[in-house]
Amino acid sequence: MFFDTRPKVSVHVAQTGETFVCASDESLLQAMLRLGRKGIPVGCVNGGCGVCKVHIVEGQCRSLGPISRAHITAEEESAGYTLACRVAAVTPVRLEVTGKFEKPFRKGFANPANT
Amino acid sequence: MGIMRIGHVSIKVMDMAAALKHYENVLGMKKTMEDKHGNVYLKCWDEWDKYSLILTPSDQAGLNHVAYKVEKDSDLVDLQQKIEAYGISTTLLEEGALPSTGRLLQFNLPSGHEMRLYAMKEYVGTEVGTTNPDPWPDNIKGAGAHWLDHCLLMCELNPETGVNKVAENTKFSMEVLDFFLTEQILVGPDGDMQAATWLARTTTPHDIAFVGGPRMGLHHIAFFLDSWNDILKSADVMAKTKTRIDVAPTRHGITRGETIYFFDPSGNRNETFAGLGYLAQRDRPVTTWDESHLGSGIFYHTGEMVPSFTEVYT
Repeated sequence: MFFDTRPKVSVHVAQTGETFVCASDESLLQAMLRLGRKGIPVGCVNGGCGVCKVHIVEGQCRSLGPISRAHITAEEESAGYTLACRVAAVTPVRLEVTGKFEKPFRKGFANPANT
Repeated sequence: MGIMRIGHVSIKVMDMAAALKHYENVLGMKKTMEDKHGNVYLKCWDEWDKYSLILTPSDQAGLNHVAYKVEKDSDLVDLQQKIEAYGISTTLLEEGALPSTGRLLQFNLPSGHEMRLYAMKEYVGTEVGTTNPDPWPDNIKGAGAHWLDHCLLMCELNPETGVNKVAENTKFSMEVLDFFLTEQILVGPDGDMQAATWLARTTTPHDIAFVGGPRMGLHHIAFFLDSWNDILKSADVMAKTKTRIDVAPTRHGITRGETIYFFDPSGNRNETFAGLGYLAQRDRPVTTWDESHLGSGIFYHTGEMVPSFTEVYT
């Protein structure tokens, strides 16, 4: 977006060192996608699949919708874990990615002759 | 004849209002009923039974159960005996366990997914009726899906521990439920490990599919459209409604289906699927895709796997 006048705060991803800006009315993951940045795994972007699980280390976020309890328990949520697709940043945020893709076609599965 | 076709799926949603809006405005389904527990029932315009989708309020996404319709009530008794003889326990749920539905034979596939079989569901008719019908009705919204077509279930597969629920489900579905295999992906050093299978009861390339993954889950539910142009239109609908598209319109090598994948507001993956592919028959030779052509089997044009497609599910 060339002319985006919305107020924004910075989001820092610990593992990759990436920093991007996030508007107060979009999710952390939407902001990353909009800017073509990487760092947080992208799945359903609707709170269900759990791959964008993050730990908010610093800063305040607000909820944009329900997150699947299959991936974030109530205890985890109160300890700062959430899904990046379902929270907006209120203040500058520092986060750690905890979700990861579980490869269905994993190592040990592949035919060495084909690789 | 035993199982005829997929009858309905019951899925969990985290925001009922958003889910209902999605299935009505994007897929073009209509709400036909709501029960006292807040579960919502919907059908597509070309379906004649009362519902093909049940949305249940939950704090997570995913599958509750998938149901297939059998031809006769006596099929339920026959299948119950066969399933029990195979070593899988069953429960016969009395009529009324689901509204507008006859008794249901309930059991779990070897993968753990709950399946139900039933012979009776209330008839309400298609939107165009049975007397001098028009080819399509005037009051369809969104993609205007014709019917629920199939589902793909993710099944635990771990070569290191020797667990292969894809193979176990496939064997059970063929030997007991009398599905026939149309296509398979074979992997591993000897190319003999079933990593994914497509099975049919109708004359379409699949009525159910099983794919291996680290844990059991729901990969997608698919709805039928006529043509490639309808797939393009459904993508337009998704753009208009800001629906999260997972895989833009393309073709599968497997089944030859034309497709677009997207997510409902709880992250359950949907597909609109067009084209009949080929005439699936019991004596048609099984199509096999090997590990080096797996990408082309799934996405024919690019031949490349999209990470989120195989690694994200509910």
